[in-house]
Amino acid sequence: MSLLRKMLTAPKGRSARLGRVFALVLAAGLAIGAGNGWAAGTVNILETGSSLLYPLFQLWVPVYTRANPNVRITPQSTGSGTGISQAVAGLVQIGASDAYMSNALMKMHPDVLNIPLAISMQMVNYNLPGLNKIHLKMSGPVLAGIYSGKIRYWDDAEIKGLNPGVNLPHQQIIPVHRTDGSGDTFIFTQYLSFSTPSWSNEINYGTTVSWPAVPGGIGAEGNPGMVTATKDNPYSIAYIGTSFEDAIVRDGLGIALLKNRNGNFLLPSAKTADAAAAVMVPKTPKDERISLIFAPGAESYPIINYEYALVKRDQPSQEMAAALRKFFTWAISRTGGNAPHFMEAVHFVPLPAPVVKLSEAQIAQIQ
Amino acid sequence: MKSLPRAPIRLWSALLNFRRLTALLGCLVAGVLLAIVGFLAIYAWPAVRLNGPGFLYKNTWSLGFLYRSPITVHGQTVLRGAHYGILFLIVGTLLSTLIALLIAVPVGVGSAMFLAEGVPPAMQTWFSFFVELLAAIPSVVYGLWGYVVVIPFLGHHVFPFMVKWLGFIPFFGGAAGSGYGLLTSGFVLSLMIVPLIAATLRDALVSQQAELREAAVALGASRFEALRTVLLPATRRVLIGSSILATGRALGETMAVLMVSGNAVNFLPNNIYTTISTMASFIVSQLDSALTDPTGMAVRSLAEVALVLCLISIIVNGLARVLLYYEGRQNARIV
Amino acid sequence: MGATAAQIRPPSTRYAGGRAIRRRLGDFLGWGLSALAFVFLGSCMVWILVVVFHRGASALTPLILTHITEGYGGGLLNAIEGTGVLALGSLLLAVPPGLAAGIYLAEFDFGFLAPIIRFLVDVLVGLPSIVIGYFGYVAMVVYFGWGFSVAAGSIALAIILLPYICRTSEMAIRQVPHTLREAAYALGAGDARVSLNIVVPAALPGILTGVLLAFAISVGETAPLLYTAGWSNYLWTGRLTKEPIGYLTYAIWAFITEPFETAHALAYAAALFVTFFVLVISLFSRMLLDRNARWRRES
Repeated sequence: MSLLRKMLTAPKGRSARLGRVFALVLAAGLAIGAGNGWAAGTVNILETGSSLLYPLFQLWVPVYTRANPNVRITPQSTGSGTGISQAVAGLVQIGASDAYMSNALMKMHPDVLNIPLAISMQMVNYNLPGLNKIHLKMSGPVLAGIYSGKIRYWDDAEIKGLNPGVNLPHQQIIPVHRTDGSGDTFIFTQYLSFSTPSWSNEINYGTTVSWPAVPGGIGAEGNPGMVTATKDNPYSIAYIGTSFEDAIVRDGLGIALLKNRNGNFLLPSAKTADAAAAVMVPKTPKDERISLIFAPGAESYPIINYEYALVKRDQPSQEMAAALRKFFTWAISRTGGNAPHFMEAVHFVPLPAPVVKLSEAQIAQIQ
Repeated sequence: MKSLPRAPIRLWSALLNFRRLTALLGCLVAGVLLAIVGFLAIYAWPAVRLNGPGFLYKNTWSLGFLYRSPITVHGQTVLRGAHYGILFLIVGTLLSTLIALLIAVPVGVGSAMFLAEGVPPAMQTWFSFFVELLAAIPSVVYGLWGYVVVIPFLGHHVFPFMVKWLGFIPFFGGAAGSGYGLLTSGFVLSLMIVPLIAATLRDALVSQQAELREAAVALGASRFEALRTVLLPATRRVLIGSSILATGRALGETMAVLMVSGNAVNFLPNNIYTTISTMASFIVSQLDSALTDPTGMAVRSLAEVALVLCLISIIVNGLARVLLYYEGRQNARIV
Repeated sequence: MGATAAQIRPPSTRYAGGRAIRRRLGDFLGWGLSALAFVFLGSCMVWILVVVFHRGASALTPLILTHITEGYGGGLLNAIEGTGVLALGSLLLAVPPGLAAGIYLAEFDFGFLAPIIRFLVDVLVGLPSIVIGYFGYVAMVVYFGWGFSVAAGSIALAIILLPYICRTSEMAIRQVPHTLREAAYALGAGDARVSLNIVVPAALPGILTGVLLAFAISVGETAPLLYTAGWSNYLWTGRLTKEPIGYLTYAIWAFITEPFETAHALAYAAALFVTFFVLVISLFSRMLLDRNARWRRES
């Protein structure tokens, strides 16, 4: 510091001083770089994507890296769209996504594996002052009507029809949707597409869809942004991953009963998710890319999905491949990452045994 | 004979003397701009051809059906249902900038007058410095402040009040919204650009010749009248130049707008409380989703957004610079 | 000069009657409104600072300075280090060419080239930073395959700093009296010697002010880094490519929208650091300028 002072307080200085400034800056830069050292033998795994899976990674990483100190994992909550795009671009080792990759994308990047790590659910949440304790009933067509701007007010006949006896206010509905590429958008719009033909024809599903213009509608970034936007805006409605259920309950927001394929209204729970998974798991193909949305069955919750890790089959180094195989094997095992205390904390459902087998077969392909 | 071995060095120094070296590096610095614009133009070209002029006046940004197989249009592979029109972005960008200017110009002129003439000379520097600090605060800190404090404040206390009492004015009525949106963006933007206007104008006012002021006072004008009727008009071109410069700043502002605009997609605002998106913030929020488009058309269309933004800001900045050069203030503030 | 004008009593006040009252009212209103404009700006400034410093201070713990980010909590050591690395890296890249370009514009400003360069550089200042970030992502991160990295982040930042350094150096160098150069040239010094040994040292305080301001900008920028530097929870291991790095402004943007108090605390603390640092640099560079101006007047 005193050197710097001396240099600055002497305006008559000569060019050597300028050189010294550079030397100082250079030395500082090098000192920082050298300070950390080039940690030998450490494997750096980058994970980015799904904000729904992120809370689980936040629980996993400290536990796993404590047991495996030579592995460093940086998880990032960016959205499934980011997870997909950065995994196929090779910018990260693990792309986390609630959505499997599309056929067209698979054709371009056939070396990317879609490995389910767990099963999650999605809630439909709302902020109706005074009514948040009541679980409102919602169906695919009604939600499609809200998100396409055909149903504008909370006391609309269609919402009232599903919820007789509830004193709904005459307030404009604020639909909140994701602005980032999102697996939550993917599974939510799949639910709307599978249950509502007009939505399927006009909007269809995807990690990003062309949201119809609804005046007052809000875009939010990530599940955290969805929770915050719903909390801050009375009379809003949103779709939020179940790993944020604790935040929803804490903020006093409502959780809707959703109409499933058999016409029953259900809350997201381990039981209803298991019921839906039981129907869909046998249909899971070898590459495990399948939608679990709108499953048949009386007790099947309509929006459940595999949480995917997108990984390249061919890794640049043996160490990286081995580290990834080890981490994934740990992550999907009932004694490791799929252990009940992890799953319950984020309200996920562990992978059923047949799916674990399929995932293990895919993990073995990482070389 | 003795000098022969040194000839190559001399040749070298003849080709690349100090003057040429600095000229070369100067060209490098300037060339960065051309490189970026050129790169964007080449990269966006397929999208420019596909989207046509409709890109600028249509109102749908849709990647299409991401999970269906792509089709071929005009020899290019695109997703079924893909449409790229950014009218809502252009409108959102221009309107938020307009609102920012409507706030920033009067406030900037007022504070420049106050700083130049209304403050004791000994304190002038520090008072001006205080205003200039507003320009030093990073964009993301403005965003944080806007997100945490301004949005709840405006959304819950000010906007409903404005709808009630000013609702008769066009675009002031209707739904008061949640605090995110056009007016909030414009307000935050105005604070970010006001120092530019205030500081440049203050410098111009202070550097006016004393004779002008003295002549005005001798003719019987009060100090304020001299300022308003003689000094201020004399700096008119500086005001216009710095306002255009500020416009350029507001058009390209990213983080603060991203955090307070509500990131609306595909619709035009129907009052000043409506949520919007701007081109700059849209690039941040959409780049990753665009990359999931297997045909790559979405990323190229986003490059076209960047190109349009780039061209607008080049035109605006170029205009401001020409005006300021003309005024002989080529050393006007750039920070 | 303001004083001389103030000392002259405007003759108008000697007249009585409605017109004089109206004019005095106009004066009063005019001063009032312009003072109000200043007070408005000042109070917004204070509002921002109070929010940032109050909430930031209550979020500060010793942990924040000594630990790396873990999930929604932990510290900001990784981000503080990353901000420093990126800022220094971008300065290292931007100062030499920026200063050289500044020398060219100030010293050799004849012919057609200098005005063109000056114009392009001025337009580059106004180029939205996200455009540079986008360029960096598509070109460096994806096309060159550097991944999110210190190299990509520093270069994107350096592009933003270049025009500032170039123009502030030019302005500082232009202030150096011509007699200095004439004396040096008369003694037989060449271009390089005159510029580097005589003119640049004389203009050093001004140049340093520009570099300091550029430093402040690099600490406060977000948009160009989001898609070039990425984010990392760990300390930098010294790799220039293929390893993302954390930085403070990302922590502000990303953590404030998370619905957890610990994440908010990190965002506020990061905002406190960034704002404090930027203000201190601004204050310091202003003092440097003042000192230089006083020194010039006295000598």
